[in-house]
Amino acid sequence: MKNYNNSILFVLTIGLLCLTACEEVIDLKLDDASGQLVIEGSLTNASGPQMVKLTKNIPFTSTNIYPPVIGAVVTVQASSGVSFPLIEGPAGTYTVNGLAGAPGSTYTLIVKSGGHTYSAASTMPNAVALDSLTSKDGRSGNTGGGNISVRKVVTAHYQDPPGVKNQYLFLVYVNGVQVKNVFAYDDNLTDGSHVGADLRQSDIDVYVGDTVKVEMLCIDKQIYTYWFALQQQDAHGPSGSTAPANPPTNISPAALGYFSAHTIQTKTIVVK
Amino acid sequence: MKYIILIPVLLIVFSSAFAQKKFTISGTISDKSTGETLIGATVRIKELPQSGVATNSYGFYSISAPQGLYTLLVTYVGYETVVRPDSLSQNHTVNFAISQQNALNEVVISSNRPNNNQIVSPQMGLEKLNMSQINNVPVLMGEKDILKTISLLPGIKSATEGNTGFYVRGGASDQNLILLDEATVYNASHLLGFFSTFNSDAIKDVSIYKGGMPAEYGGRLSSVLDIKMNNGNSKDFTVQGGLGLISSRIKFEGPMGDKGSFMVSGRRTYLDLLLKGSKDTTLSNSTLNFYDLNAKFNYRFNDKNAIYISGYFGNDNLGIQDRFGSNWGNTTTTLRYNHIFSNRLFSNTSVIYSNYGYTMENFSTQNNFKSTSQITDLNLKQDFQYSLSDSHSLKFGINVLHHTIAPGNITANGTSNTNNKDVEKRYGFENATYFSDTWKASPKLTVEYGLRLSNMILLGPGTFNTYDTNGNTISSNSYGSGSLVKNYLNLEPRFSASYQLSEASSVKASFNRNTQNIHLLNNSTTSTPTALYVMSDNNIKPEIADQMSVGWFKNFKDNAFEFSAELYYKNLQNQIDYRDGAQLNANQDVASQLTYGSGRAYGLELFLKKKYGRFNGWIGYTLSKTERQFDSINNGDYFPASQDRTHDLSVVGIYKINKRWSFSSTFIYATGNAVSYPTGKYAVNGITTFSYSERNGYRLPANNRLDIAFTLEGKEHKKYHSSWNFGLYNVYGHKNPYTITFQESETKMGTTEALQTSIFPTPIPSITWNFKF
Repeated sequence: MKNYNNSILFVLTIGLLCLTACEEVIDLKLDDASGQLVIEGSLTNASGPQMVKLTKNIPFTSTNIYPPVIGAVVTVQASSGVSFPLIEGPAGTYTVNGLAGAPGSTYTLIVKSGGHTYSAASTMPNAVALDSLTSKDGRSGNTGGGNISVRKVVTAHYQDPPGVKNQYLFLVYVNGVQVKNVFAYDDNLTDGSHVGADLRQSDIDVYVGDTVKVEMLCIDKQIYTYWFALQQQDAHGPSGSTAPANPPTNISPAALGYFSAHTIQTKTIVVK
Repeated sequence: MKYIILIPVLLIVFSSAFAQKKFTISGTISDKSTGETLIGATVRIKELPQSGVATNSYGFYSISAPQGLYTLLVTYVGYETVVRPDSLSQNHTVNFAISQQNALNEVVISSNRPNNNQIVSPQMGLEKLNMSQINNVPVLMGEKDILKTISLLPGIKSATEGNTGFYVRGGASDQNLILLDEATVYNASHLLGFFSTFNSDAIKDVSIYKGGMPAEYGGRLSSVLDIKMNNGNSKDFTVQGGLGLISSRIKFEGPMGDKGSFMVSGRRTYLDLLLKGSKDTTLSNSTLNFYDLNAKFNYRFNDKNAIYISGYFGNDNLGIQDRFGSNWGNTTTTLRYNHIFSNRLFSNTSVIYSNYGYTMENFSTQNNFKSTSQITDLNLKQDFQYSLSDSHSLKFGINVLHHTIAPGNITANGTSNTNNKDVEKRYGFENATYFSDTWKASPKLTVEYGLRLSNMILLGPGTFNTYDTNGNTISSNSYGSGSLVKNYLNLEPRFSASYQLSEASSVKASFNRNTQNIHLLNNSTTSTPTALYVMSDNNIKPEIADQMSVGWFKNFKDNAFEFSAELYYKNLQNQIDYRDGAQLNANQDVASQLTYGSGRAYGLELFLKKKYGRFNGWIGYTLSKTERQFDSINNGDYFPASQDRTHDLSVVGIYKINKRWSFSSTFIYATGNAVSYPTGKYAVNGITTFSYSERNGYRLPANNRLDIAFTLEGKEHKKYHSSWNFGLYNVYGHKNPYTITFQESETKMGTTEALQTSIFPTPIPSITWNFKF
């Protein structure tokens, strides 16, 4: 919330004081530290294939095509000690069928690749029900040509369970296109409340008639910190926010990415 | 602590026993036309070349000599030198009222040999700015600003363009002690740092100590910015003010009976009015303003007793109708009592209140809540100045400062789904006692040595957790009201010395240790109002800085030109940074989000200034390096702090063209801030994410900018005076980088780009009309 408020303050002040402010795309000489392993692993409570994706990072100046890492040995170990090998599929994906995560269980991902063994553990929290989605008027804006349209904001409603720490991550899709903001929330100020989380975003404007799909993930504390750190570094945030760095990962030895055991629910709304 | 107080007592007893029979002349020095006391004016006995003393913060001086016939010389920058014979056979009082020079005649007057204080005084790292310079330096939108002007001095760097946050010799912005009539001003900025809280109309004197901190100051590592308000004109009732582009100012001052005077000064912006014109309904329904109110009253009962009451109140309001509201501000009040025990012993007692707080309100139906935070200080100070002999002048005193910090308090309204939350308040005392002696050891050697003992006491009630290096709670203890949680004691030696090589040159050296027990947590480089203050506690240790510096000082052309070269090295301990993904807001366990390390800073500062004449100004250059080291950052290697600026150059010139016109200009060049740029990218959850290799491994492009201003003085009138100020900021429209961000390209799908934001990329004109009657 603090970041959000600061952004408003900042945008307002800059907007007013610096009616002259300008932005321009510039060329920078950036070092190339590409070719590092990126592990993106998730294990959900939904039955269906569970997937781990292994890629490599690329130079800043390249087109966003990430080279897959092939030939790795990937397993997921449940806290019961049972081990599930993942089978390599196309483009660096490794999947296992017939495994649905159970809330309360801790899972350990083990990736053997390039002569190194990486491991990451994550505990799947209990699911909190996504009750509903609603939409309301957001900031009005001039859409050009004298047309004033009202931008809409979608709100996700859920009942936070009292007395326990909960963390949430929302993924938002507008007409099938993913919104590129991170929405990570905890219950520091909303423990036990009926929460309406406004998914205010700066990426894709939402208007009446749009279809918005929201995925709600209940995530563990460490994964929340990972997403919260990314959210703080959001390019749309106030200037000079935290020195950007790789978010703290649960993978050891450190690699880019994360392994998250989480619950997942999806709801869709046609904005009115 | 008792022993420390004994030292000065013993010294006094000893020295008086052996001292030769001497007499003392004392008094105050003030401006002839306004009665305003003058700080730092010099009194010398012509026949005794080593005899110079300077007036203190209250314009008081005390000078001793054996019986004899003497000539007293009183000098002060911008004022006529006063020569007065004195036959000294007993202690007596001489008050001086001196008149300002006419600027155009100054060339002639420089033959009066203005003082060479900078050469003789052992004080290093001190910069003083006179208000006329501050008033003449061109600034953004014509808003004269002390904090922006001091950032043009070597060793002092502004946080970002147009920002009043500043860094001194590699210190962080919360390591500056900002005092307004002795009261701490916690957040000296308005509108996220674009303007400072100091309305220059109300200010008399500005001193900034970058090093060699005298023992009477303590509590911050990097610098002391000591700002003193005007006492008010004790001769005439006057009104002065100004109308500017974004704000207006007005000041009333005048005598109160024969013995007192008052000053009230206010400033308010009218940016809101600009907003009303906006087509964007979000902007036109927004609030955006700030105001400042300074007031001071003083009353001189007699030559020996005087009281001063001064206060400051400032507030910012920023909000969007129906969605969001915020306000923040400082309040300070200082009550002082001067008592002159004897010609040699001056005492000041101060009771000081200081508060900074903010309120943020969210008005949306589900998230309707108010968040507040406060820091409140109550401070009792007793300071003595004792002119022991013509070779020893002592300062000693004691200070008891009580802090109350309410770090965050969330109050929800009605239907809100936010819960009320109170982060526990914290209470503590910062106590200090100090002693220092300025000793004229020989005609050429002057030494100032001192000691400050500082003590931090953190008190209950509350629950205090202790965290391990990963931020996990390892123990938790509850304390009752008033019970001791943590006690820190630090001894801070202060030492500086000057050795005169000749009448016009000297070398100096200094060492000082400073400690800091109030820490600002704010993981952003801009001055945000939502700053969080914490005291040293069971997790956070006092920050410690040791600074050594040496310098060469040289005056030219009858002291009209001053040159100095200073080298400094600073070592910092117990520095604070944040864990990645740190959550500082409304977090009872905020200390678990911190990580601790060390720092070092060193540099060379060159400073050439011309203080007198139709043309005056300065050139300041700093070559420096500032680094930090944290085990958890950058593999534990030293990395450049964001404020590390290799080169920093400022040129300031003020030229009086004729009686009515004057011209001023500043030019700055500075290496860009150290920043972290991505060295690769990848995708998680379908979001393009950047990967980083090292902390602050890159630089923003260098800044450079030229600003100019013209002042036109109105025709002379008996009853009133007016002037126009025309300014142009960023004359050649250089696009200085404010930030560089990285994002997915909107034009070339599937690629990423670097975007530079410049906030003042074009020349920005300003106009201000000032009046006085």
